Amino acid sequence: MEGRGSATMKVKIECQDISKYFITEANEKKEVLVDFNLSVYENEFIVIVGPGQSGKTTLLRIIAGLEKPSTGKVLLDGKEVSGPGPDRGLVFQRYTLFPWKTVIENVELGLRFKGLPKKERREIARHYINLVGLSGFEDYYPHQLSGGMKQRVGIARAYANNPEVMLLDEPFGQLDAQTRYLMEQETIRIWESEKRTVIFVTNNIEEAVYLADRIVTLEGKLPGRLKKVYEVNLPRPRDYTDLAFLELRQKIMDETSLIL
Amino acid sequence: MTANNNYLKSSARLLKGLSVTSVIVLILLWELAIDFNIIPSTLLASPSQVIKLFIYKLNHIDPDGATLGNHMLVSVGEALIGYIFALIIGIPLGLLMGWFVIAEGLARPIFEIIRPIPPVAWIPLAIFWFGIGLKSKAFIIWTSGLVPCVINSFVGVKMTNPVLIRMARTYGASDWEIFKTICIPSALPMVFGGLQVALATAWTALVAAELVAADAGLGFLITMGRRLLMPDMIVLGMIMVGLTGALIGFLVEKLERVLITGVRR
Amino acid sequence: MLRVEQSKNNYPSQERSVVRSTYNILQLAKAVIYNRYILYILSTFGFIYIWDFVAAMGFSKFLPRPIEVVNQLIYMLQYPLAGKTLLAHVWFSIKRVLIGFAIAVVSGIPIGLAIGLNRYVRAIVKPIFDLFKPMPPIAWISLAILWFGIGETSKVFIIYIGSIVPCVINSYNALYIIDPELYDAAKMLGANRRQEFFHVTLPGAFPAIFAGIQISLSMAWTTVIAAELVGAREGIGFIIIQGMNLARPAQIIGGMIVIAVTAWLISATFNRIERWVCPWKAEVAQQ
Repeated sequence: MEGRGSATMKVKIECQDISKYFITEANEKKEVLVDFNLSVYENEFIVIVGPGQSGKTTLLRIIAGLEKPSTGKVLLDGKEVSGPGPDRGLVFQRYTLFPWKTVIENVELGLRFKGLPKKERREIARHYINLVGLSGFEDYYPHQLSGGMKQRVGIARAYANNPEVMLLDEPFGQLDAQTRYLMEQETIRIWESEKRTVIFVTNNIEEAVYLADRIVTLEGKLPGRLKKVYEVNLPRPRDYTDLAFLELRQKIMDETSLIL
Repeated sequence: MTANNNYLKSSARLLKGLSVTSVIVLILLWELAIDFNIIPSTLLASPSQVIKLFIYKLNHIDPDGATLGNHMLVSVGEALIGYIFALIIGIPLGLLMGWFVIAEGLARPIFEIIRPIPPVAWIPLAIFWFGIGLKSKAFIIWTSGLVPCVINSFVGVKMTNPVLIRMARTYGASDWEIFKTICIPSALPMVFGGLQVALATAWTALVAAELVAADAGLGFLITMGRRLLMPDMIVLGMIMVGLTGALIGFLVEKLERVLITGVRR
Repeated sequence: MLRVEQSKNNYPSQERSVVRSTYNILQLAKAVIYNRYILYILSTFGFIYIWDFVAAMGFSKFLPRPIEVVNQLIYMLQYPLAGKTLLAHVWFSIKRVLIGFAIAVVSGIPIGLAIGLNRYVRAIVKPIFDLFKPMPPIAWISLAILWFGIGETSKVFIIYIGSIVPCVINSYNALYIIDPELYDAAKMLGANRRQEFFHVTLPGAFPAIFAGIQISLSMAWTTVIAAELVGAREGIGFIIIQGMNLARPAQIIGGMIVIAVTAWLISATFNRIERWVCPWKAEVAQQ
C-alpha cells in the first residue's frame, strides 16, 4: 500500500448513496449526481477528476454541507453532515478572500468566529501563513497579491481552523501553468508537514496523478456518477515525466473522456 | 438548493400579494385619515378629493387659469425643448471632447466651471435674463441637461477599447474615420445612460423653476394650490409631476432599447 | 537633424509628440497647440476675456463684468445682506443641509439594508418607496410650507425627503454586489448569522452605501438651494433670488460661484474621506 502514505484504515468521510437533482424553471428534473458512494480514509489525499459539468463541484459542496443531497447522506467520523461548519475546510476556486480584510485577518477569521482571544489567534494565523510560505505579507490586502498568493491565503485560512478534512474545489484552475505546477508542489509540501484528510477536485489528470493517493473519476456527462477508482502507488515527491507517472496518466486518459 | 417549485411559486405569490396590499392599505389609510379628520383637510387632501379635482380640471380653467392638460403641455413642452437642445449640443460636444485634443482643451475649462453649479442655481439668472416663460425654462433645462450629456459622451469615447483603435490604424484609418466608425458607436451605451440622468435632473430643475416663477405648468399648479389654500391642488400637481416624470423616463428607456438593440450595456 | 518620434496609439495622430531641431517653427507651433494644458490655459483666459468684452459692450445691465462680480463678492463678505453677511448665509444653508442629510442617512441606510436583507420588508416597503421615487423632492415644497410655514422645518423636511432616496436605493443595491460565495466562505469558517452580518454584509455593502451617501449629499445641496429659492429669508439660495428680485446680476453670478465652490469643496472632502475609509474599494471588482 505504498501510495497510501500515512493514510490509516479509519474511514473519515463516507458518502452513502448520494444523489442530487434540481427542478428547473421548466419544471424538469435535472439530475446532477446519481448513486455516489465513496469511503475516504483518514489522512488520505483523494482527488476527484472529471470534466466540466460532471457534478464534481456539487459533490464537494454536498460534502462541505453547503448543499443538501436529495438522497443519501455524508458521514464525517460517523456523524451525519447537516450544514456548513468549521470542521470542514473549504478552499474555493475563485479564492473568495474577504477583500476588506488583510491576509492575517482573513486567515484568523475562523478562529475569531470561534471566540479565541486576539493574541492566540494571531499566533496560530502566523503559523499557517508561514506554512504556506507567505510570511511577511500579513498586512497586505488581497488585491495586492498575485493569484498564487491569494490561493495560499485561502489554504492557510482553511487550515488555521484545524478542520477534520480539507476540501479543495479546483483551486488552481485560475492560475497560469507555471504557478499551477508550483502550487501543486506546495500543496504536497504543506500537506506532508501537517497531515489532514484531503478531498481535491480537478479537471486535470496530470494534477490528479501528481497529488493523489487515490483518484476517483466521474462520468463525463450529467448525471455525475462514479466511474472508476485508481490507486496511485508512486512514491512522493513525484516526477511529472516519470514513466510510471505517464503510464497511469495515459491509462486514465484512455478510460475517461478527459484529455489532460 | 433543491427547489420545490410549488413552494417557490406560492411564496412569490405571497410576496406579490403583500406588495399590492401594502400600497392599497397606504392609500386607504390616507383616505381615512382625512375623512375622519385625523389630519385636517386644510393640510392634506384625500385621494378622493384629488381625483375629484383631477376630473374637474380636465376641462375647467378655474381657479388657476388653465386646464390640467394645458399645464401638462406647458411643462412637458418646456422640458422637451430644453432637453432636445441639451442633447443636440451636449452629445456631439462630449464626443468630440473625448477624441480631439483641441476640442477638449478648449471646452473643458469652461465646462469644469459650469459643472459644479447645481442646475437649480441657474434659475434666478435665467429668469433675470429671459423673464417668466418658455425661454427661461427651456434655458434652465438646457443647462441642467447639458452637463450629464457631455460627461457621459466624453467618458463613453474615452472608454473605447484601445485594441479596436489600434486595429483601425493598421488599416490606415484617419482620425476622423476612427472617430466616426469606432468611437461613436462604442460610446452609445454611455451616451444613453447620460440621457436618463439628464432627464431626471432636467425634470427636477423644471419643476423648481416653475415653483419659483411661472404662470403656467405643473409647478405653477402646485404653487397656486398653496396660494389658494387648496391642498388637493397641491397634491394633484405633485402626483402629476411624479407620473409625468416617470412616464417620460419610461419612454426614453424604451427608445434606448430600440436604438441600441444588441449592444451590451 | 535629430528626430525622435513617440507615438501614442490610443490618441489621435495629432498628439504624437515630435522633438525636432528647433528651426522648424511650424512643428513647434503644432506641438504647442495640440498640448492640452496650454489649451486649458488659453481657453480659461479666453473665456474671461470674452466675458469681459461682451459685458463691457453695453450689456452690463444683464451681464456684469468679471471684475464687478469679484467686487460684489468682496462687498458681501464684509457687509450684511438682509441682516447677515455672506458667510452667515452660507452657514445657514449648510446647517439645513447637515441636519436634513444626517437624519436621512441615519434612517435611510437601515431601511435600505432591511429591504435588501428581508423579503417581507422588501415586499411591503419597496412598492411604496418606488411610488414616491419619481417625484422630485422640490415638488414637496408647497405642501411643506403649508404644513410647517416658511421656517427651518419645511426646508429640513424637503432636504430629508430628497436625501433619503439615494441612501435607501444604494443600501439595498449594495447587497447585490457582494459575492455570494463570500457568505459560503464565512459559513465554512463557522460564522453564525450575526457574524455573517458584521464581517461580510456590512463591509461588503459599505463602498456602495458610501457612494449613496455622496449622492445623497449632493441631492441635499441642490434641494436646499431650490427650497431657498422658493421661500426663505436667509441662505445662499436667498442671495441669488434676491439678486434677481433687486436686478443685481453681479449678486446672482457671485452667489452662483459661491454655490459652486461650496459644492465642490464638500464633494472633494467626501472623496478624501472615502479613500481613507475604504482602501480596498477599487479592487473589489477584480476578485
